[in-house]
Amino acid sequence: MVDLLIIGAGPAGLAASIEAASRNLSVTIIDEFTTPGGRLLGQLHEEEKDVWWNGVEEAHTLHEKAQENGVELLLETSVYKIQQEDVYWSTHTSAGIYHSKALLIATGATEQSLPLPGWTLPGVMSIGAAQVMTNVRHVKPGEKGIIIGLNALSFAISRELRLCNIDLEGFFLPPDHFLTTDQAKPLSVLNNLMTLSHLAPMNWMRLGGKIANNNRWIQKQTLSFYPKRGINIWQTPVHVRKAVTSINGSTQVESVTVVDLRADGTMIEGSEENLEVDFVCISGGLAPLTELIGLTDLKLIAIESLGGYVPVHFEDMRTEVTDLYVAGNITGIESAKVARAQGVVAGISACIHSFNLRNDDALEIAMEKVRKERAEAKLQFHPEIEKGRTLLYSEKGEVQYG
Amino acid sequence: MTKDVIVCRCEGTTLEEIATIAAEYQCSAREVKLRTRAGMGYCGGRTCRGFIDYIVSHHSNHQELTLHHRPPVRPIPFALFREVNDE
Ligand SMILES: Cc1cc2nc3c(=O)[nH]c(=O)nc-3n(C[C@H](O)[C@H](O)[C@H](O)COP(=O)(O)OP(=O)(O)OC[C@H]3O[C@@H](n4cnc5c(N)ncnc54)[C@H](O)[C@@H]3O)c2cc1C
Repeated sequence: MVDLLIIGAGPAGLAASIEAASRNLSVTIIDEFTTPGGRLLGQLHEEEKDVWWNGVEEAHTLHEKAQENGVELLLETSVYKIQQEDVYWSTHTSAGIYHSKALLIATGATEQSLPLPGWTLPGVMSIGAAQVMTNVRHVKPGEKGIIIGLNALSFAISRELRLCNIDLEGFFLPPDHFLTTDQAKPLSVLNNLMTLSHLAPMNWMRLGGKIANNNRWIQKQTLSFYPKRGINIWQTPVHVRKAVTSINGSTQVESVTVVDLRADGTMIEGSEENLEVDFVCISGGLAPLTELIGLTDLKLIAIESLGGYVPVHFEDMRTEVTDLYVAGNITGIESAKVARAQGVVAGISACIHSFNLRNDDALEIAMEKVRKERAEAKLQFHPEIEKGRTLLYSEKGEVQYG
Repeated sequence: MTKDVIVCRCEGTTLEEIATIAAEYQCSAREVKLRTRAGMGYCGGRTCRGFIDYIVSHHSNHQELTLHHRPPVRPIPFALFREVNDE
């Protein structure tokens, strides 16, 4: 029996473990991957000119600190069930059952897909899988690839692939059908891209975003004049008026069929062409990985700007279920720095609320740090993230879902 | 297009099959899964679960959100499965 058991060794779980262990709690972290760090392990981006966020280094630093504080780490161990007993939690894993007084779920995010004909062929992968192959495993996903889905995640990862000299045909929309909805509509995709205008190298978007914000006429003009060969972002052409209608190949990916779209999203007959590629990355966005929450009595609430269903929780990462805490991307899709800061809050919060540690101002300082990281985040997954958080943490929000 | 779009990769169930069954039986996502096997394959619905819920919620009047999961949430060996069921 340990004091605090943490599921997930990403930035949130690791940061929480350090706070709790340095306040003398016994802490165990469980993660199913081979290496601690979670999604940090694939991350490499330039935050400002020549200032790089290196996820591998960050993971290493957090892991070392956790070790110094006596945190026990169990890797390659999957949690498949959790259950609250009278006064403790049992966590069922592929390596046995563990008991703890308090439980922190920091399982991060999962990728959303965009189904289309041919997406089950070998050589089709999620954009995150391409990131892991390239940055974590140092394996080239193929000779030439194509990215389906235009969003913050696919842009960030395309750059990482480019840094490894991987050839990319470009970004294309998914075909328009029931499950691809807005991600297949040129106008909504363009609008979404404009909200990403904070991403430094996309000057044209920043300009466009300023002028075009909320002006549908200008947005439509932008679409009509959108260059046929696309606009390059980090050397990869972005097409907002071309969609991939199928992925082709007999035993693996050999080509994709792309078609030109009118500004309203309808296909232009006869514009089909086949592009030769040997791998395809699909990027449908991220959603909180809440399956373990679904085993508890904790309520989930849908907030679009946070990425979908998130567990109802307080700003100090406590939940309404006794001794159950959440932190990181499971509470909403944000960058690694925010997840790390939330982990700090959760670690301190568990000490206070489950172990009667005196509530000094450490908790408030840590919560303030989360707000600051959020406000300053260079990589934002949704433009209205602050609104989503306010809804969740305000009294009003509680009335709505309470 | 909907005929060629596989939603459940493990069981090969298409968008059209799921939508048709949901509309025909006006039933819950769970019933659609049992009727089509969508989401019942090896991975336990990790990729398609959200899609199935979404399709069913738009093609059937059945108002039940299946946010609850049941253990195990990961594929596990049979030896461990016995223990899961020992409740
Ligand atoms: C594909 C992808 C790419 C991303 N790229 C970026 C990026 O470039 N920059 C950025 O700032 N953010 C990125 N993010 C967002 C990312 O989620 C955050 O940066 C951050 O890693 C979230 O931290 P976390 O601790 O909440 O979760 P994670 O870092 O995801 O860690 C969660 C950990 O929980 C473990 N886990 C989950 N379920 C179980 C279980 N049942 N049993 C055992 N272990 C389990 C996982 O193995 C994982 O190690 C990306 C996310 C994804 C999914």
